[in-house]
Amino acid sequence: MKRRNFLTSTTAAAVGTQLLGGVPLRAFSPFELLPTLAEENDRILIVIQMFGGNDGLNTIIPCEDPLYYKLRPDIGVKQTDAINLLSKVYMHPALDPANTYNMKRMLEDGRLAIVQNVGYENPNLSHFRSTDIWLSGFNSSNPDDRLVDGWLGRFFAKTTPGFPDVLPPDPLAVQIGGTLSMLFQSPKGDVGIALTDPDKFFELGKGLSPDLDPMPGDTRYEREFNFVRMVAEQSDRYSQVIKDAFDRGKNMVKYDDNGFVRQMQLVARLISGGLKSKVYMVYMGGFDTHVQQQNDDNTGLHPFLLESLTKGVGQFMQDMIMQGQADRVVGLTASEFGRRPEQNGSRGTDHGAASVQFVFGNRVRSGVFGNAPDLGNFNENGDLRYQYDFRRIYTDVMETWFGGTPEDTESIFGERILPLGVLQDPVSVRDAYVGRTKATIRAYPNPAATSMFLEWRQDVPASVVVEIWGTEGRFVGTEFRGNVQPGVVRLPLSPAVGAGSYLCAVTVNGVRNVVPVTFMR
Amino acid sequence: MNRRQLFSGLASLGVRDHAPADMVMPMVGGGIEPYDQPLTLDDVYHLFRRIGVGPSYASAKTYVGKLAADVVSELLGAEDEPAPAPPGTWINATTENPLGADLQTRFAIYAGWNNQMAALSNWWIKQMASEPKGVEKLTMFWSGHFTTEFSFDETYVPPQSMWRQYLMLRKDRLGDFRELTLDVTVDNAMVWYLGGHFNEVGKPNENYARELLELFTVGIGWYTEGDVKEAARVLTGWKSARYNDEPTGPNGIFNAYFAAQRHDVGAKQFLGQSIPGRTADNNTEYQVKNEEIRRLIEIIFEQRPVEASRFIARKLYRYFVYCSPTEVDETMVEALGKIFRDNNWKIKPMVHALFSSAHFFDPGLRGAQIKTPAEFCAGVMRQLGVEFNDPQSWTKKMDQALMDPPNVAGWPGYHYWISTNSYPVRRQFARTIIDSMTDDQVMTFIKQFTDYDVADKFVREVCRLLLPVTVNSARHDYYVKTLLQNAPSYDWPKILDEKPAAAQRTRGLLVAISKAPDFQLS
Repeated sequence: MKRRNFLTSTTAAAVGTQLLGGVPLRAFSPFELLPTLAEENDRILIVIQMFGGNDGLNTIIPCEDPLYYKLRPDIGVKQTDAINLLSKVYMHPALDPANTYNMKRMLEDGRLAIVQNVGYENPNLSHFRSTDIWLSGFNSSNPDDRLVDGWLGRFFAKTTPGFPDVLPPDPLAVQIGGTLSMLFQSPKGDVGIALTDPDKFFELGKGLSPDLDPMPGDTRYEREFNFVRMVAEQSDRYSQVIKDAFDRGKNMVKYDDNGFVRQMQLVARLISGGLKSKVYMVYMGGFDTHVQQQNDDNTGLHPFLLESLTKGVGQFMQDMIMQGQADRVVGLTASEFGRRPEQNGSRGTDHGAASVQFVFGNRVRSGVFGNAPDLGNFNENGDLRYQYDFRRIYTDVMETWFGGTPEDTESIFGERILPLGVLQDPVSVRDAYVGRTKATIRAYPNPAATSMFLEWRQDVPASVVVEIWGTEGRFVGTEFRGNVQPGVVRLPLSPAVGAGSYLCAVTVNGVRNVVPVTFMR
Repeated sequence: MNRRQLFSGLASLGVRDHAPADMVMPMVGGGIEPYDQPLTLDDVYHLFRRIGVGPSYASAKTYVGKLAADVVSELLGAEDEPAPAPPGTWINATTENPLGADLQTRFAIYAGWNNQMAALSNWWIKQMASEPKGVEKLTMFWSGHFTTEFSFDETYVPPQSMWRQYLMLRKDRLGDFRELTLDVTVDNAMVWYLGGHFNEVGKPNENYARELLELFTVGIGWYTEGDVKEAARVLTGWKSARYNDEPTGPNGIFNAYFAAQRHDVGAKQFLGQSIPGRTADNNTEYQVKNEEIRRLIEIIFEQRPVEASRFIARKLYRYFVYCSPTEVDETMVEALGKIFRDNNWKIKPMVHALFSSAHFFDPGLRGAQIKTPAEFCAGVMRQLGVEFNDPQSWTKKMDQALMDPPNVAGWPGYHYWISTNSYPVRRQFARTIIDSMTDDQVMTFIKQFTDYDVADKFVREVCRLLLPVTVNSARHDYYVKTLLQNAPSYDWPKILDEKPAAAQRTRGLLVAISKAPDFQLS
C-alpha cells in the first residue's frame, strides 16, 4: 500500500495505534477532524524545449573569469553589459528586458532557480541523439539502444489508473504546436495530444470518432489501425474539452506578439479555464547558433531567443499570479546540450556539452544551484564537464511535484536518481505532527579518512535510511536501514567507496536530508 | 532488469500496443529472395502503394500476372529518366541579397520566395499524383534523407536553389550513392544550409561535416569527434551563390563555387586514413573536389562499409516497408546492405531487390505503413481522379512542408505523422476533395470498375483500391448499406441511371471509407 493511501484509510478508521515506518500514529488525533486532503494532485508542469542546444555560457555568464573572454573574444558579453545577480553570477542582458515581468525579476521574487552544469556522462553531440536522451531519460551511449518513448509518457502511463483502456476526461499532457513529442509517448500509447489552435481543433476534431471498433488482434496492420483509431477518438473527445477550457479561460496580462510568448499565453488560458492536463510542452527552435550568434551590442540571434524566453516565462508567470494559479505551476527548460566554450570562426559556437537549466514557479527553491562552469578543465573534446545529471530535476518533478515514489523513479529511469531539491517539499500540518520534518544532520569529521559520524536530534522514534550517492545524483549504495529512538542520534558512516566527494542522504521518517561528504582514503 | 527491455519501455508496464525490440510480431515469412509468383491484383496494388502513391484500377490491371522483378524495373524508371518540365520561369529569377535591402524590398523578396516555394511544392505533389512510375517518391526519399530546409533560422534558401537540388536528387536517385553524396556536399542549397558557406581555414564550422557522418552516410557511433573536425577541414572553402549583387564564382548563380584562399591546404587524418596536403598550384575547385572531398566520401565507405550500407538500407526499409523504429527486420537490412556493397554502392540493385523480394510481398507487412502527408494527398487526388488546387497548403497543416522539414534530421515519420493536430486535417482534406467531385467525375470513378453495376462487387473493388487490407464481411456489409441507403441491392443498376443519385450515394461511400483508420495506411 502506498503511504498516502495508508494515511487516508487510517484517518477514516481512526482507532488504535498504527505503526508507520516505526512511528506510532496516535488514536483520535485532532487532524482527523480536518477534511480529508484531496488526493487528486492538481499540479501542473510546463516543459520548455529549446531545440538546437542553448549556449549556457552566454545565458548565465561567468564574467569574472578571465578565461571566458579568452575563449570568446568576439561573442563574449562584457561584464559591464551583463547583469550581476549574485556573487560571480551574471545574466545575459537580453534576459532582463524593460517593461515586462521577466526571469531576472522572478529571481528577485524567489520564483526562479538557475541550475548550472547540467548534463550527463559521455555527452553526445548529435542534436537528435542528445534530444532523445533528454526526452527519454535514458543515457545510453550504445547507438543500437533505441530510445522511443519519454520519461513523462512512461510516468503517466504507469501512474494513471486504467490507462489506456480508459481515456482520462482531460488529456494528461498537451503539446502546443507540431507533432507529438517523444516526451509524451509511452509503451501503452500516447499520453498527450498536440494542439495548435483550440477553435480550429474544435471545428475539425468534433465528430471524428471512428465508426469502427478497435481491431482485436496484434498484427502490424491491426496495431497501426488501432493507433490511428485512438488519435481519432482523442481528437473527437479532447477537441470539446479544450474548447470548453479555452472559452472559459482568460488572460489577465498583455503578452508580446511572438511565437513562443503566444504559446505560453495559450497555456495560461487553458489553465485558467480549468483544463486538468498535468503537463504542457512548448517548443522553441533556433538555438543551433553555429553562425553569427550575437552582435557586439548584445543583439542578434541568440539574444533574441533569450528575450523571447524571458518574456514568455515572465508574462505567463505574472498571469498565473494574477489569476491565483501560481502555486500550481512549475516550469523547466530543457535543451539537448550547451555549446563549445571556445567560439568558432563564424562568430558562433559549435555543439557542446553541459549547460544551464531554469526551473520556475512559486514553489521552487530560488537561487543558483551548482558551481560556476570550470573553464580551465574541459573534457577531451574541449567541452564543459557536467556536475548534475539531467534527471535530478526530473526526479524532483516526479517525486516532489507529482507525488511519485522513489520506486516509480527507479522504474522510469532503470536506476535510482537523487532529486536535486530544487522544488520545495510540501510539509503539511500532519507531516509535522508525525515527525515528518527536516532534520539538521551534522557529519564529522568531514572530510574524513575512511569513516565519520552522522549526528542529529529528533523528537520521535524514526525509521532511518542512510544512502551514498554520487555528486551528480546517481545511486552508489545503502549504508544503514533501521529504526532509532528519540534523542540525539549518532551513526557511524564508513562506506566502501573510493576517495572523493559524495552526497549522503539521511532519510528520517520518509523525509530526505542531504549532506555532502568527502573521504580521502 | 534487462537493459534491452528497459529501453523498449516494457520493464514496468507490460506489453500492449508496443512490442519489444528483439522479439515480437508474428515473423514475416519472406526474405530477400525474389517473389516469384505471378502478381495478383492485390499484389499490384500493394506494390503501387509503396513504390508510388497509390494505384489506379485501370493501370494496376495491366500488371496482373506479371513478375515482380519486371514490374519493379519498369516502375523505378530509367537512370536517365528525362527531366520534367519546370514549374515556371521563376526558376531562373534572381534577386539581390534581401539583408542588404530596405525593409520593403526585403519583405517583397521573402514573399516572392514563399510563393515560388508553394508553386514548387504544388508542382511536385501533382507530379506524384500523375506520374505512372515511382520516380518522384524515391526522389522524395532522398530529399528527406539529404535534408535541406527552405526556411531556417529566420533565413531562406532561395527556391531556385531548391529546384536545382531537386533535379540533382532525381538524376542521382538510382546511381552510385557516393556520387550522390558528392553532389549533395557541393550543392548550392546545402552549402548554405549547413554552414559550408562559413567554413574556412582556421575558422572551421563543423555543421555539415557532422551531419554528413551522423545523418547522411554512416550513422552515430562510427566516428570520433576528431573525425568530425578533420572532415570539416576537408570541406573548407565552398561558397554558396544566391544573389545577383554578390560574386557568383565561375559556376554562375545558384551553383556553389570554391574559394581557394578559404580552403585548408594541410594534410588531414580521417577515419585513420591520410588525405595529403596540397600547395597553391593544385588548390583548385576541380582538384579539391575530386582529390579531397571525393576521397573523404570514399574513405567512409571503405572504412565503414557494413555500417554505412546498413544505415542506408535501414532507412530505405523504414521508408518503404515498415517505419516502426523498433521493428526493422535486421536480416533484411543486412541482405540489402550486402547487395549495396556487392554492387559497389549502386542504389538501383538494392532498391530493386527490396521491391521484388518475398519479404516485401509478405501479407504480414501489408497495411502497416502510415502514409506521409504528401503521399496521402497525392494518393487521394490520383485515386479519385481529381485535380486539386494548392495541396501543399494542406500537407503543411499535416506537418509536412516539402523541402522544408522541421530540422536537419528530416521528418521523424511513423506515429509522428498522425496527431490530434494533423489527423483532423487529413480527414477534412479527404472530405473536401470528395465533396468537390462533380457528378461526371464520380461516374468516371464508378465506371472504371468492370462489375460496377453489381453493388456488392462494386463496393468490394472500391475497398480493394482504397484500403490496404481486405475488409471483413461486417465492414463490407456496412459499406454496401452506406452506398445503397436502404435500397435493395438489385436497385443499384437503376440508381446508376440517375447520375445525381448515383454520384451522391457513391460520395457517401467514399466518405465512409475515408473515415476508416486504415484509409491512412498503405
